[in-house]
Parts: sequence; structure tokens; C-alpha cells
Amino acid sequence: MTTDGHTAPAAPIPDPGRHLTTPTTRSALRIQHQLLFAAREFLRGRGFTELLPPVIGPVTDPGSRGSKQVDVDFYGHRYKLMTSAILYKQASLLAFDKIFCIAPNVRLEPLETAGTSRHLAEFHQLDVEVAGASRDDVVQLVEELVVHMVDSAVRELPKEFAELGRDTGAFTELLKGSFGRMRHAEAVTELRRLGHPQSPDAELDWDGEALLSAQRDRPFFVTDYPKGSRGFYDRECPEQPGLLRNFDLIAAEGYGELCSGSQRTNDYAEIVTRMRETGENPQKYRWYLDLVREGVPGSAGFGIGVERLTRYVAGLDGVWQASAFPKLAGVVSP
Amino acid sequence: MSDLTAPGFPEEEVRRRARAGAAAAFPPPGEYGRVLFGAGDGAEQGGGPRPYGGRDPLDALRITPPVLMPQRLARLIDLGREPGHRDVDLTTALGGFTSALPVYVSALGSTRAAGGDLGLALSRQAGALGLPMVIGENVVPVNGYGRQGEAADRALLGRLRAYAEELPDGRGGVAVQQSTEDADAEVWNLVYSDPAALPLLASGRLAFELKLGQGAKPGLGGMTVLDAEAAARVGDRYGLDDVFGDGRVLRSSTPGTFTAEILRQQIRLMRNNFPRARVWVKLHPGRDVAEAARVAAEAGADAVTVDGAEGGTGWAPEAFPAQVGLPLAECLRRIAAAGPPPCLLVSGRMWEGGRAVKSLALGARAVGLGRAALLATAEDPQAGLIRFAECLALELRMLISALGKYTPEALDRDDVWSPDFPGIPAAG
Repeated sequence: MTTDGHTAPAAPIPDPGRHLTTPTTRSALRIQHQLLFAAREFLRGRGFTELLPPVIGPVTDPGSRGSKQVDVDFYGHRYKLMTSAILYKQASLLAFDKIFCIAPNVRLEPLETAGTSRHLAEFHQLDVEVAGASRDDVVQLVEELVVHMVDSAVRELPKEFAELGRDTGAFTELLKGSFGRMRHAEAVTELRRLGHPQSPDAELDWDGEALLSAQRDRPFFVTDYPKGSRGFYDRECPEQPGLLRNFDLIAAEGYGELCSGSQRTNDYAEIVTRMRETGENPQKYRWYLDLVREGVPGSAGFGIGVERLTRYVAGLDGVWQASAFPKLAGVVSP
Repeated sequence: MSDLTAPGFPEEEVRRRARAGAAAAFPPPGEYGRVLFGAGDGAEQGGGPRPYGGRDPLDALRITPPVLMPQRLARLIDLGREPGHRDVDLTTALGGFTSALPVYVSALGSTRAAGGDLGLALSRQAGALGLPMVIGENVVPVNGYGRQGEAADRALLGRLRAYAEELPDGRGGVAVQQSTEDADAEVWNLVYSDPAALPLLASGRLAFELKLGQGAKPGLGGMTVLDAEAAARVGDRYGLDDVFGDGRVLRSSTPGTFTAEILRQQIRLMRNNFPRARVWVKLHPGRDVAEAARVAAEAGADAVTVDGAEGGTGWAPEAFPAQVGLPLAECLRRIAAAGPPPCLLVSGRMWEGGRAVKSLALGARAVGLGRAALLATAEDPQAGLIRFAECLALELRMLISALGKYTPEALDRDDVWSPDFPGIPAAG
């Protein structure tokens, strides 16, 4: 009956003292540090402004599958911890045309995600948003960004890769760029050919992503996800209703999704309608809708999962190893 | 008060409105939480759709056993002896669950009548019976979830636990509704990630029900009557009307806006976000009920529930039960004509075997108990619903076997007759 299959309990997280002092953790965090350093270097070079994202707000991104938001009592008003910075990214384009931030997110993921090796309840996203850009513009951008980040880590930190036993030859193809692309419908066809029962109306499930990922030697994009699998802010293709101008970047070697992005909807009536299609109550998005009604720029952007990218680059078994203080679904930890 | 009279005109009703204003659109507020509203049998004043000779059209049908029974012969051969009513197998697959009877317990929302010990006692007995149960909308925003100190008897978690503790293996399941306001409280996400719901989820016995409306007030959202203190607590999330003038206020949920595309995409999103939960969709008896049922089924709903205009409720403006919505029999006729969804569940004044058998014969997979389940539990919180179900099961067995059939799904339109109900062939 399950489509995800991951119900086994996760390996226990070691206590923080032990986790922080193991060579694996230190090497993973040094690689993460270098990845972020390189990202900042790359994006500043392209004219991006780094903003500090809010941590709480009256509303946050509803578009995360199955997870629960965390309520915060803000002087008697119910606020949320950010599940992603998406609404603020769009709003920030009123100040700058190209922005990025490294944003903390909290999502109380379903309990079975504790065993997927790729979900954290608390994680960070490298969030990028570009006014006036198309989906294909940011697909190109994320490809160049990831190549730069990985190249920088591989060049600067050979000792850390050696310590982790991660063969950097795994990135030979990645560093050439030219990540492959496939449409969601093609991914569904390929998965079904491999005997995996992927729904054509839903996101690729975790097993499906891992299966596609394992077949490839460099990261690849899956584009044009169907409506009903994503949040209200992904723009629908005018010429192909029901499909969204969005994408995921999926790692090679079975590491799964690294990044999600899309061209955004910035039309007020379309956003309200799409909110209903995603079961949301427009009333609670008042500040955002007021802003959209006055006009926010059309844009495209993405968010790279920092711990997921670190896990892939460092070749770690679990994404929790890429966090100094990991939080897994349902596991009590500091 | 003048001596003016208007014989033959609803004079007293007009005078009541002149005295009470907007409050007169509703039953007396003192009845809230004590009276379960909804359609009567058509014999009394003021209740229910009854365009067919003054009777509820489903009640007006007759169940028509044939004389010659090939299906009885098949059962005879199977058993090697003459079959009787005890040989009817009532086990029914519905909405992804398995039920002991072609019966489920309808939504019990945040209304006071279903609150407190009664809601818990009902949940326990429904669990013990292995009957699927729907937990209604607005429970979490109004009564809380039950994890962080809210009164457990009223909160959603209390009902979930009471039900699951009694549930036999392989039977039953819980469908949790989410209204627009519940969506703000993320009820489905909460349940989906809660350790208490894990056993139900892991055994495939958790569903989420998208509610588009209900039979007793088609086109409106849920309504309850709140005292001033409770109203102040939820005023930022619900519409409040001070219609009663005695400190109590009417709390209304929004019904939510749906188009075919919104319905389709919401169902897909439910399947995408909660792949391990079943998806149920509840429709009010709207004139396009067959179209909505088709959209829901095509988008992948595991069950489509239709609450006929005879459906009960905790509270509704009087004009609605009396005059709004299609009778259940007409909903069934329209849905059958358009091609029914794979699993059609129906509710509306269900309480005995005859009405249930007629609904099943007209295409339903199972029937929902609303008012009947609450009343039976109120009669005896320990075993009232259990004894009620025992009686219902015996009636179902007798009626189904009398038709020469031995499973509920074997029933079909030939099993009922009416001289004036369109679309039902007069059986030979």
C-alpha cells in the first residue's frame, strides 16, 4: 500500500559530543563550508545581493509534501516557523532584482522520513530568486552554480575527500556541466519501464527519485511537474495547462533530489485560484496577496538543500551527517 | 399585538420573525446541543424533501424479492444445503477499508451534541464494531488536537485513540475531515505525522476526507452556536453572527470554493502529500452531484460520499433542511445514470435495514449512520451502538437473503420498485 517503502527506523544519531568530534562530521562540515563559500563567491560575482531571511511570519510555504508547520505564539497571534523562504523571496524582488539567502527551514516531516537518509526536520536552503527570469534561465544558473560549488570543494579540500573515502572521480561528468533534462512525464515512463509504479499526477516518490538517480553519472533536471504536486506559486504553462514551469535537480548515484525551483506565478487572480486548488485559505496569506495585488515582478528561482548537497558531495550515508545538530522526524535530539 | 389574523397563512411564523428578527431563521438556540436537526419522514411539518406523494422518495420505494432465484441456487450449491439469512456475508470493502457491515459512522464535527463523553463513547463502540468512522471538520480549531493539554475528551486525538483502542485487526478505519479553517490548523498534516495515528496509517486504515458540503445545509459551511467566551477564542478564524441576542453567537465556517479543476487538483494534492492515506470526498446533494462525483473518482478518490438532503446536523437554518438540496434517491438516480464512482457512500436519515438496502440497490456501497449513531450511543454509552448495529445487521441479512442474494454488493436496481420514481424499472 505504501508508495515510499521507507518505514524502518533510522540509525540512532550519536550524542552531540561524539557526533561533532568524529572525523566524518568535521570533514563533511568543512566541505559544506566550502560549498557555501563558493556559492557566495559565484552569486556575488553575478550581481546578487545576499539578504537575511525571516525565521517567523504569519504564514509560510504550504507546498511541502505531508509535513507539518510549527506554530509560534507571537504576542497572541499564531505565527509559523519558515518551511521555506518562497513568499519573502518574491517580495524581496521589490528591493533588488537578484537576491539570495541561506535560509533555515523547519518542517515536521512524516515519521517514516526518519528512515529515508534524506530528510531532516530542520535544514537549510540556498535560496535564489531572479526578477524577470524564465524557468530555463534559472535551470542554466543552478547548473553553473552547482558546478562552481563542487569544483571549488574538490580543488580546495582534497584531504577531506580522502578522509571520507569519497572518490572525487565521481564528479568528472558533473564538472563538465550539461546536466541532463527530462520531463516529468518521461520520468514516469522510465520508472514504469523499470517496474516502479509512479503516479503520473504526483511528484516522483522517494524510491522513484533514487531509482532514476542511480541510473545516472551526473545530476539531471526533471521539469514540467503536474499541477497538484506542487505549491500555488509555480507558474502553469499557458500552452500546456496542467503542467508547471518548474524543475527539480536530482543528484547522481542514488542521492536523490538536491534542489527545487520554478518560474513563479505573479498574477493575483491566478494565485488565489491556485491557492484553492492546493486547499489553502487565501485569507491567511493577506500580506502576500496585498503585495501581489499591487504588483510583484515576475521571477524564477530555486532552493538548493544545503545538507543534501553536502551529503551528495561528501558521499555520506545519511543527510543527518551533514548537519552539526541534526533533527530527524520524531527523534528527540538537541 | 393586534387582532389582525391571516387564516391559511403561516401567521405565527411571521409573528415569530417580527418578534425575534434574524434569530427566527434558526431553531430556538436553547435546542442547540440537545436536538439533532435534519429531515423527518415527511409526515410531520417542516422537515425534509418530500416531493413524491408527501413521502421521502427512498422510503416510498418497495423492496421486491423475486420468486425465482438463481443466485439462491448458486449459494445452495456452494453450501450443500438450503441457504438462510445467516449465510449473508455483510463484510464490505469501502473507501480502502474493510467494514463488518455495509455501514460507516458519519462525520461528527465540533457540534456540542457530539462533544465530550458521547463522542468518545461513540468512537469506542464504532471501533469495537469494526465500522469505519469519519471525524468531522472544525474539531481541531474549536476543540484542539489533544496533544498539548486541550481536554482530551473533546479533541480529535481523544476520539482517534478511543476508536483505535477497540478496533479489531483488519477491520474499520478513520477518515479525518479538513475544512478551510482546519486547513489553517493543518489537521491532515498533524494527523499524518502523529505517533498516535501511526498504527492506523501503517495498517492502511487512515483516510482524509475532503468535505465539499453536507446534506442538511447544501452550499453552507459548518455551523455551531457558541457562548461568548468560546466565540472570542475562535473569532479570528470564523465568521460570527450575533443573531440570538442572548450572548450566544452563530459560528459559521466558510463552505470553501470549488470548481471542477479545484476539486481535481485538491484530490491530486492529497494523494501527492499523503500517499499512505486514503482519499475520501464528501459532497452535498447539489444538482451537479453526478458531475462532482465523476471528477472526484477520476482524480483518484477512494470513496465519494453523498449526503442526501435528508441528512442530519447539529445546527442549520430552518429553510435548509426543509427546502434545499436533492433527496438522496434523486442523487442516486443521477449518479447511476452518469456512471457511478467505484465506491459510493451515502447518508441521510439512515437508521434501519430497509432504507439501507434500498440505497445499496440503487448503487451505494455502504450507508452512513449520523443521528442514529449518536442517539444509540446516548441511549447507552457502553453498548447502545453495538446493540443498534446488531439489530441493523439482522435486518440487512433478512432483507438481502429475501432477495435471493447473499452479499450487499449483489443488490441492484431490480431489487426495488416504485410506481412514480423515475428511472427505476418496475420489476416483473
